[in-house]
Amino acid sequence: MGSSEESVVAVIMVGGPTKGTRFRPLSLNIPKPLFPLAGQPMVHHPISACKRIPNLAQIYLIGFYEEREFALFVSSISNELRVPVRYLKEDKPHGSAGGLYNFRDLILEDNYSHIVLLNCDVCCSFPLPEMLEAHRSYGGMGTILVNKVSPESANQFGALVADPVTNELLHYTEKPETFVSDRINCGVYIFTPEIFTAIQGVSTQRKERATLRRVTSFEALQPANRSLPTDFVRLDQDILSPLAGKKQFYVYETRDFWEQIKTPGMSLKCSGLYLSQFRFTSPHLLASGNGSKNATISGDVYIHPSSKVHPTAKIGPNVSISANARIGAGARLVSCIILDDVEIKENAVVIHAIVGWKSSIGRWSRVQASGDYNAKLGVTILVIIIKLMTFLYEPGESVLPNKTLNVSVQDEIIL
Amino acid sequence: MKALILVGGFGTRLRPLTLSVPKPLVDFANKPMILHQIEALKAIGVTEVVLAINYQPEVMLNFLKDFEAKLEIKITCSQETEPLGTAGPLALARDKLIDDSGEPFFVLNSDVISEYPLKEMIAFHKSHGGEASIMVTKVDEPSKYGVVVMEESTGQVERFVEKPKLFVGNKINAGIYLLNPSVLDRIELRPTSIEKEVFPKIASEKKLYAMVLPGFWMDIGQPRDYITGLRLYLDSLRKKSSPKLASGTHIIGNVLVDESAKIGEGCLIGPDVAIGPGCVVESGVRLSRCTVMRGVRIKKHACISSSIIGWHSTVGQWARVENMTILGEDVHVGDEIYSNGGVVLPHKEIKSSILKPEIVM
Repeated sequence: MGSSEESVVAVIMVGGPTKGTRFRPLSLNIPKPLFPLAGQPMVHHPISACKRIPNLAQIYLIGFYEEREFALFVSSISNELRVPVRYLKEDKPHGSAGGLYNFRDLILEDNYSHIVLLNCDVCCSFPLPEMLEAHRSYGGMGTILVNKVSPESANQFGALVADPVTNELLHYTEKPETFVSDRINCGVYIFTPEIFTAIQGVSTQRKERATLRRVTSFEALQPANRSLPTDFVRLDQDILSPLAGKKQFYVYETRDFWEQIKTPGMSLKCSGLYLSQFRFTSPHLLASGNGSKNATISGDVYIHPSSKVHPTAKIGPNVSISANARIGAGARLVSCIILDDVEIKENAVVIHAIVGWKSSIGRWSRVQASGDYNAKLGVTILVIIIKLMTFLYEPGESVLPNKTLNVSVQDEIIL
Repeated sequence: MKALILVGGFGTRLRPLTLSVPKPLVDFANKPMILHQIEALKAIGVTEVVLAINYQPEVMLNFLKDFEAKLEIKITCSQETEPLGTAGPLALARDKLIDDSGEPFFVLNSDVISEYPLKEMIAFHKSHGGEASIMVTKVDEPSKYGVVVMEESTGQVERFVEKPKLFVGNKINAGIYLLNPSVLDRIELRPTSIEKEVFPKIASEKKLYAMVLPGFWMDIGQPRDYITGLRLYLDSLRKKSSPKLASGTHIIGNVLVDESAKIGEGCLIGPDVAIGPGCVVESGVRLSRCTVMRGVRIKKHACISSSIIGWHSTVGQWARVENMTILGEDVHVGDEIYSNGGVVLPHKEIKSSILKPEIVM
């Protein structure tokens, strides 16, 4: 049993259509995990990272989307990366750990030595091989990827305290109101199969407590007393928090970039982060040109081979152009994601924007936002079939599909 | 025949352009504003023009020497030491306006652009035999101005009503007068308003007559009206089939391009654009409803609308300038910059976008 002793399975949680409403309006047209960043679907990035793990045998995607939404992607990426990828649909919410547990029979089928658990909407360098090495040396049940953030923003995440020498997880609190630590949970984990025992323990405990506990009908209505279903297990509150300090979990710190891709604005920022990573991992994916035969390229730019860009256009930095787009003479694109079948006509300017599928931007138009990725209206989003005539958009309109805009619009969300 | 042009004020509403030159010398349709009036006066035989000014006579006089020679018309200045209002300057220039001939003299307001039907005005003045004639123009919103109430058939003026709340008429004072020398006897050398003091008196004696101005009229003393005025002016050129208007596949509507200006490939110019001497418009540029003054360079792919670009400024590649942006002299807008109604003082570099109308010092 030589090679399969050390084989690894990866599980990527991809969420569902009712979750992640902050990603609208982009998620009205495509499942968020399939939205392209740096020219590849969002979930492609963690999947490629998993491929770097030696002895990676299988990848599962777990989510609430219909299976057909992922069928095409899953078969195409399995072929492309030569690793079996399979989508599993959760029938009901099980919590972040419960989802893993729900499919334990499948996941443990081939006696994997390690389980990598990732969240799809995390943007980072995924240092998985190094993290696996560290995990082996720690010898615990699980290793959590952590990142240092500013103390002011730490309370938005899961805060961890770890022993600086042994790297053991000593304390874990989800979204603390007061300051606990500036190290936060990145949503990337490596577990040994013992994790399933731990999850089952929580489940059993909850069942026992439910039968033992007798409350008045009034008490039963109070939110605190409303007990969770027995198969609903949260990784953070139900596993990591209680088991912190018991030599079960360890941390591995990354100094690289880390972001959560919750909003369309963040997708633009993360697309830029992945593009700059390509410079080291896959420079052949980046475009180049100086205006003589190809368009002038500035900074990190991805252009799908099927798209046409006029040589007098200037593209970049941080631009990703998807398939079948046509970029006309003298156009200027800065910090934007151009989706499939978009037409950008002569001399148009697009800055800090996401231009949706089949949109058309007229000659000398300007689409521009402030570029503050976190501001509600910091990035302009045009979604599907917008015919933009010769005018300007001010910071952040979100425009819903199938609209024609003939006049200048400023600071609005257009329905 | 003589004429007086009331130049007066500092032109604060046309700043930042008037920070570089006195208002009468600000170009309109590729010609200093005051030259439009002087040429119209010359055309009907005026031999001497007096400019009633209250500041910067030296700058004015230098230009004027140039016009004097070219047009063969005498141009002098009458400088107020204190503001004399709209009638006082006439008293100040009395000696220059009256000669033995007893002919009437014109008084023009320097902010006004119109067809200047001065010959018709002379005929009108002779026919009614009154002491003073004024041009009036019809407007949509008379309560913003001073309304002239007149008898329709003869044009005899009954009274003036300043900013009337109820509708009394839709004709307002167009700022073009033809006055008999006797009018000067009514004006003392002190701050006096011609509309509030002098004309009402003449009207009460039934000696003031008004003629409705045919054609367009605009007070171009502020940027928005300047841009509208250009449209009206170019429209009147089109009606006369003027050869001055540009044509070509890259031209839309009425466009004036000085012969020394250069326009690149793939541009789209117009409607209602004036491009001044020595300008360079690079390829892929879109200009509409704007004035580009002498020596301006517009770089590739830029887009300018409803704006005024001051002398020797540059607008960078892919920049967008619109919504009543006024660039003063020697202003440089960087590449890809957006200006939404920026009012930029002279000798500035704009390196970050102006997202909402504001003054940039």
